[in-house]
Amino acid sequence: MYYAGEIPPHGGGTLVYNVIDNIDKARQYWEIKTRIEIKPTLDPKGVPVRNVYREVMSIAYGFFTPLEGFMTQNEVESVLKERRLLSGWLFPYPIVFDVTEEEWKASGAKVGDEVLLTLKGKPLAVIKVEEFYKLPEDKKAFADAVFGTPERNKEVVRVPFDEKMPGWLIYRCLKSHAIAGRVWVVNPPKFREPYVRFWIPPAQSRAYIKAKGWRFVVAHQTRNVPHVGHEMLMRRALFVAGIGERPADAVLVNAIIGAKRRGDYVDEAILEGHEALSRGGGYYFHADRHIVTMTLWDMRYGNPLESILHGIIRQNMGCTHHMFGRDHAAVGDYYDPYATQYLWTRGLPSYGINEPPHLTDKGLKIRPVHMGELAFCPKCGEWTYLGIPLDVPEVKQLPLCGHKPERISGSFLRGLIIEGIKPPSVIMRPEVHDVIVKWWKVYGYPYVTDKYLKLKEEQLEVELP
Amino acid sequence: MTAEVRKYKIGLIIDDKRYEAIKGTPLEQKIERMFGGYIRLLTLEVDEETARHVLKEFPSGRIDARGFLEDLPVAFKRALFEAVVKTKSLGKEAIDEVFKKIDEIKAAAEKEKEYVPPPA
Repeated sequence: MYYAGEIPPHGGGTLVYNVIDNIDKARQYWEIKTRIEIKPTLDPKGVPVRNVYREVMSIAYGFFTPLEGFMTQNEVESVLKERRLLSGWLFPYPIVFDVTEEEWKASGAKVGDEVLLTLKGKPLAVIKVEEFYKLPEDKKAFADAVFGTPERNKEVVRVPFDEKMPGWLIYRCLKSHAIAGRVWVVNPPKFREPYVRFWIPPAQSRAYIKAKGWRFVVAHQTRNVPHVGHEMLMRRALFVAGIGERPADAVLVNAIIGAKRRGDYVDEAILEGHEALSRGGGYYFHADRHIVTMTLWDMRYGNPLESILHGIIRQNMGCTHHMFGRDHAAVGDYYDPYATQYLWTRGLPSYGINEPPHLTDKGLKIRPVHMGELAFCPKCGEWTYLGIPLDVPEVKQLPLCGHKPERISGSFLRGLIIEGIKPPSVIMRPEVHDVIVKWWKVYGYPYVTDKYLKLKEEQLEVELP
Repeated sequence: MTAEVRKYKIGLIIDDKRYEAIKGTPLEQKIERMFGGYIRLLTLEVDEETARHVLKEFPSGRIDARGFLEDLPVAFKRALFEAVVKTKSLGKEAIDEVFKKIDEIKAAAEKEKEYVPPPA
């Protein structure tokens, strides 16, 4: 058993921190003449769906420990075969720095070189080129290999992936080639408001947890502003997670920040919406039991696969537990709604994962807290449990009370909000709604649109000195 | 043995303004109250073919875990409510009325794709 902040980073070694903070030392790298400008991944309509700078940052600041750079062809193949790095440690997705052949040639780079990666024309990072290789010609097949198919992955994939699945689209739209190698940030960027308040990379997060004296910390994954159902899930997870000693001490909310699907909430509202639960007038959580943080990553919406990445990130941040609810990090009906619970209770052999991630060799140390679905019971006047319909026929899944609880869906709530109706406080805290309206006024729309994605790509979350 | 016919639902939130429009009519009796009475809702039940038709016209829409068609444009919801009032029905008549003006609704929805006025 590990305590929060002391749990080993994923990979059994130390946290990756490939950031050159000493500005004089860092400046030497800025003079490198072999350069590649980081460009966004565009969907077929030209809308940005990813910017690989977010992966550069997440690698360099240790969120993806033990990953220290972009994957070689062999490593990509290993990940696709059994979701493991070449070192054997569990890792769910190929992480590739894709370029066109023209970009590579124009840079003049060769294997073995240190190449300066620029962002909006300014130095950001250096990649030490270990390999330059061609990605599979058939990107649709490549994307299918990443996420699965109903034929190959019968346990959890229900519907073939297509262009409406943002993560699938990212892999489908990758450029022709990839550069593999270790990366260092050589110009630590300055985060814009409001991101700067939530950027607490793994080393800092661990220090914060220790300073607070928290022993058990439950991670909450989010790409949503919280409704009261989310809040209740966090509270219940906190009680479940104490390993028999006592309930956990705190919830660490970690929001995924990056390009998202149209219709998701804008990133700024997600962060400040969660923040409003414990600060700024909300106080539904004591500020000493709740912290909101972020990770830069363009969501892949890969449900069970995404849950492995989430486990890695939050273990690296020092959490002891990770809560997983219905439809974890999912979009549409591609996966079984309980695919993540399936993975963390049995493994997913069709993906090469034969045991649950926290029970397999070279797996995770963070422990899952499985949450079923909650619903509001008007008779009880509170949120209640609906069960967790994993295929265990001997356990009949029923609501906890004998009434008729009302399920809430995120899309129902989005519909309510866009029609200009303030949700009742039993389903959304007024402080959270105020945050949504605040950012609605900024962008003219409360949710992600093509316009927002383009603006986000223009501004990003950071500024480079 | 007959195959089970799948039914889906479209919910219309009844705020005070909409409530005034149906007050005293038989539709008022069909209002359901949710979340302890805080939300008033009229529900239309649609068959699979109609659900598919709506989703084809408005690809942003989806069927949620409760079997409701959600993420539909505000313009569609507004037109559907007007059709419900006009036809005094929560059935096929209201849906047919909406489809008569589908191009107009789609044009309005297109305008609302990137801008909807925020609440005051």
